[in-house]
This record gives sequence, C-alpha cells and structure tokens, in this order.
Amino acid sequence: MAVTVLDAAPSLAKLYAKAAATAWGRGGDLPDERLARNGVTVDPVHLAAYDRVCRLPLGDVLPATYPHMLTFPLQMALMSDRAFPLALPGLVHVRNRIDVLRAIRADEPLDLQVWAENFAAHPRGAAVDLRATASAGGEEVWRSTSTYLARGAKAPEGAPEADIEVPVGELERVAATWRIPDDAGRRYAKVSGDVNPIHLSGLTAKAFGFKRAIAHGMWVKARVLGALSGRLPDALRLDVSFRKPLFLPSTVTLSTEQVDGGWEFAVRSATSGTEHVIGTLHPL
Amino acid sequence: MATTRSADVRRAAIVGGNRIPFARSNSAYAQASNQDMLTATLDGLIARFGLQGKRLGEVVAGAVLKHSRDFNLTRESVLGSRLSATTPAYDVQQACGTGLEAAILVANKIALGQIESGIAGGVDTTSDAPLAVGDDLRRVLISLNNAKTLQDRLKALARIRPGQLVPEIPRNAEPRTGLAMGDHAAITAKEWEIGREEQDELAVRSHSNMAAAYDRGFFDDLVTPFLGLARDNNLRPDSSVEKLATLKPVFGKGEGATMTAANSTPLTDGASAVLLASDEWAAEEGLPVLAHLVDAQTAAVDYVHGGEGLLMAPVYAMPVMLARNGLTLQDFDFYEIHEAFASTVLATLKAWEDPDFCKSKLGLDAPLGAIDRAKLNVNGSSLAAGHPFAATGGRIVAQLAKQLHEAGPGKRGLISICAAGGQGVVAILES
Repeated sequence: MAVTVLDAAPSLAKLYAKAAATAWGRGGDLPDERLARNGVTVDPVHLAAYDRVCRLPLGDVLPATYPHMLTFPLQMALMSDRAFPLALPGLVHVRNRIDVLRAIRADEPLDLQVWAENFAAHPRGAAVDLRATASAGGEEVWRSTSTYLARGAKAPEGAPEADIEVPVGELERVAATWRIPDDAGRRYAKVSGDVNPIHLSGLTAKAFGFKRAIAHGMWVKARVLGALSGRLPDALRLDVSFRKPLFLPSTVTLSTEQVDGGWEFAVRSATSGTEHVIGTLHPL
Repeated sequence: MATTRSADVRRAAIVGGNRIPFARSNSAYAQASNQDMLTATLDGLIARFGLQGKRLGEVVAGAVLKHSRDFNLTRESVLGSRLSATTPAYDVQQACGTGLEAAILVANKIALGQIESGIAGGVDTTSDAPLAVGDDLRRVLISLNNAKTLQDRLKALARIRPGQLVPEIPRNAEPRTGLAMGDHAAITAKEWEIGREEQDELAVRSHSNMAAAYDRGFFDDLVTPFLGLARDNNLRPDSSVEKLATLKPVFGKGEGATMTAANSTPLTDGASAVLLASDEWAAEEGLPVLAHLVDAQTAAVDYVHGGEGLLMAPVYAMPVMLARNGLTLQDFDFYEIHEAFASTVLATLKAWEDPDFCKSKLGLDAPLGAIDRAKLNVNGSSLAAGHPFAATGGRIVAQLAKQLHEAGPGKRGLISICAAGGQGVVAILES
C-alpha cells in the first residue's frame, strides 16, 4: 500500500467543496493508498478550544477523542479524492471506535496515518471503515475506526457484512440532562473545521435532506468522555454507534452504567427517548 | 483573656503537597480555568500518594477570583478528579488567606476526630478572570428577564446605554477605600520607613533561594508540571539588586515611593493542594508525616477608619498564638512570611521589633523582637514564585512541612499570611 506524506493538514472546507463537485460517477474498489503526516504537534490553544467546546477538562494528556481532530482531515482528503469509490455527500458516520493504548501527552509529536478498508455490505447499502493511527516515537499510541454507511451503494461481490452495532444494556437510569443549543454544530465546526453543511444551519441541512441541523456525532462522543472524566483508565477503548440524528436544538439525556470495570452509556432524546449515541468504554 | 489549648485533641499531620508551577497572568495558563487547574493539582496529589478511588474526609479549597458558575468549584473539581465521587467538598474564601485557612479547617476537623484525612487547597486565575456586566446593565437584564410582555421587554431594552456595555473587570483594590492593595502597602511602607534597597534585597533573596531550591530538587515532590511549565515562570534566578534598582516605582507617589514591579508580587495563575491526615490514617496508608499543624490564629484590623495598615493583621494574630502556645517569636527554626510585597514582610518584622507599637497596639510589655533573617523564606516565597491568591497558603504549608521534615524531628516553623480586607492568618507547624 502506497503511503503519501502530507506536509500540512488539508482544508476541510475545500475538501467538502471538492467532494460535492466530484460526487458523480464514482465506483470501483477502495484506494490502495495511505495518507500520512509526520511529527504533528498539538496547538495548545486549539486543544483548549476543543476542550471548552466539548466540556473536557484542560490538562497535559490528550482526551481520547482529540487525535481524531488531526486524522479526520486526512480521512476527508482520502474520501474526497476521485479514486474513492463512494460519494462523500450522503455518507453517514455510523460507528466510531477509538483505542488509546497509553496516555498521550499533549506535547508529544505524533505520526499519523489513515487509510480505508473493509468495504462491506449492509442491508441499506455499503459500509467502509476509515482507519487511523497515531504513533509517538515509533510506538502506536492511538487508533480509530470510523465506519461510514453509503445508503443505496453496492459493496463489491463477496464483501463481508458490515458490523455497525455496539450492544449495550437497558441503561434506564439517567445521569445527566443536556440542553443542546441550536448553534452547537456551528461552535464545534469552528473548532474542528468539520464544516459539513448538515451541521451548520437548518437551511444548509435541508439541502441534504435533514429537517434541521444535526449535532456532530464526534462532539456528542467527546461530551460523553467529558462526563466520565476522572473515572477513566489511561488505556481504553471507546466504541460508539451513532443511531438517529440529534436535531438542533434538543434536550437529551445521558445514561451511564458501570459494567466490568468500564462503562456503557446512551445519549437519548429527553422527550421521545430516541437513541442518538450508544456506546461502551473499557480499559485496555 | 488568654486562651489555652485543649489537651485532648490530636494534631493533624501534613502528609505532603502538590502544586502546579505558578504562571504570570496571561502566559502559560491563559486558556486554563480555575477548575482545570484545581483538578489537575488534585490529580497530581492523588497520583503522588496513591489516593485513586479513595474517599477522603473532605476536600476544602477556594478561589478569590471566582465565576458565579463556579459556586461549587471544589466539589466540581473533586468530581472531575480521580478521588472517589463520595468525597465531600466545600469552598472557602478569605482572600490571600484562603489556602492557609482551608488547611486550618481540615486540620481542626482531624484534630477533633471528625475526619481522618482531607485535602486543603486553593486556586486562582487572573487570566480567565470573571468579567461581570456593570451594575446598571445587570439591573436592566434582570428586568428584561422578568418582563412578561413585549412592551415591557422593549421598555427594559430601551434603558441600555452604550457605556453600560463595558464589562466590570475584577480589580485588585479594596472596595471600601478604592485603593489598590499596592497603594495600601505603600502607605504602610512609608509609615514604617521601609527603604527601597532592603525591599530589593529581600526580592533578590527570594528569587535566588527559590532558584537554588529548584536546582537541588527540593520541589521535585512538591510541584507537578502543567501545560508545558515545569517551574514558576516568574522566577528570575539571575535577579540582582543592581538590576532591580533601575526599576521605577509603581505604587506610592513622589520622592518616597519605593515599591516596584520587582519587589511586589505580580498577578499570577496557579493552584496548590495539601494532604492532611491523622497519624493513624497516614500510618495505615503507609504515608509519611512531614510535620504537624500545631495551632493557628486569625486577626483583622480596621484599615478603613482605624488607621492600621491593610496588610498588618498578621502582626496582631502572632502574639495571641505565641502566648497560647507558650512560645516566643525566636523559638522557631523557619519563618514563612508571605511576600505580598517585600515592604509588607519588612514592616511586619519591624512592627514586632518596635517596643512602642508592641505596647500600644499589641498590649505587650516587651516587643516580640527580631528574628534570625537567615531562617526567613529559605526556599523562596511569593516574590519569586508569584502569588495566585488562594493558592499561596497551600504552597507555603507544603513547602514549610518539607523543610521541617528535612531538618529533622522537633523543628518548628511559623507561617504568616496577610490578606485583603485587613485580615491575617498565622500558623505553627512542627516536625
């Protein structure tokens, strides 16, 4: 697999525009290419802004979800490229699994790599895994798998079945209620650079078939992480399934339960009970 | 009336402390909130003494500059820390006396057997300061919030004037006198004829003492790096009396002004925490005992109408505490006098040496007398480290406890901290 090393993070706004312009006529297999950036350092001001918007404590150790800020633009570059078989508009992030292999200090330079794999079949279309790793001093310290579903798309012949479910228990006890304002998507977009129009306003979301703007799944995931701060092991697996869109504004509940030394959780609508994000957190 | 110490209470042990390096305003911790800093400091202490998941008797801390949303700052920090979530906590605030007062509160509960262990601490940020809307605008916004009809709302909004939109920035000034703390200290410096040179010398000694302490590793188990900072960034190891002499005074007026930016503490961000326990608990947990908190005393002076200096209250607290313990001012191996300003330390010492003042103001037959200056702030104090108001007490308690422990058993140390509002807190530690 060829590795292309980039000098800087690509602009997400440009990639979204490129992806929209080149949405048609895609097909074929996953690209046999990895994108990489080496010696990436975390900007402490950006980390502080990320922590604030996700309600995470500011400290010297990176939150489990933060390296995604660094790898997501690379994944977007891969997906918006013409060689990628699925059109970016219409791709839905349905599952995200993050492994933190050890505590990562905010001042450690990181080597990043992303690639696509596991083109899989799903009853509603096709799914693909966007993988990412972060290494420090040659040692892998973080990895993630983001599974995207392309509704109506077709996986290649003989593709395996996509696995997008994260089983959790009933989780009936509510730990917290969050009022999520209508600008939550814009605020996270400003920090993350993820300016996908479906998150920014009702009008731009409607253009893509959503009745209102929806919250970024990775923001909800980071907020769950923030709610569990102080109760987390250094090395952990944080695995979530993004179920139904979280329309803005909303009032949602967080339910948590300690299971086998880890946690199960669910973020649901406070009014309808609709599941938005469910997941597990386990020590590694 | 002289009070006596009750014999049937135990002395609280100081197990150890932790702080993050102190940072000058709007520098390394510009992005950090009080809660971030206090939580990080607690987690450092928890890691140092293996307290993960443990329930302590209580955690007491506070901040002087505090957002209204941080009403439960200490409890919120505990919930975000690795302590058991069933550890109770509460906030205290006594200006620059906060940290020491918190330690006294925890120690007293331990002494009475109400708790076996506790953490005392403090935190302050002048970078992430709580701006408030001015009082006029605040009243408009409250009536806007209460307005039931559109007409009422418009009426309320119409009362807003452009000038009201400037936020109120917290000032290091006394509400009743309108004077900055430095201006108050300058008045006292003039009254006590504290010279420029002796202030600069004290400042230089603070920097060189603290730099030497860092160099010999004294702070290795007292400080945990935070946000890229490993040492207090106000520390100037190469500071000299010659260099300091070139600075222009910033407090006081005219010829006699002596207080500069170097012999006054700068605005600083930081946090500190101290672990206190009963001897039994410390032994059970296999933790060391550095020293015991023997006694403490608080005093206040009328700096508004009474003619006393704003920062002179510790001068009054000291003889009360000494008498109660049958000690003289000279019975100590170390003195930790908080360096709010170099002139404050010098005025405090001069007052204790002054027969007239000690007789007329403190009601003593003889002055408390001079101390051996070689025993004063031996590992540096606030002029070098900086002074995040509520965090200073914890820094001093942990630092002094370690000094006493290093010096061996039976050594005594004295703490004196002045605070805004004309208050002062003093305490005795013993190894």
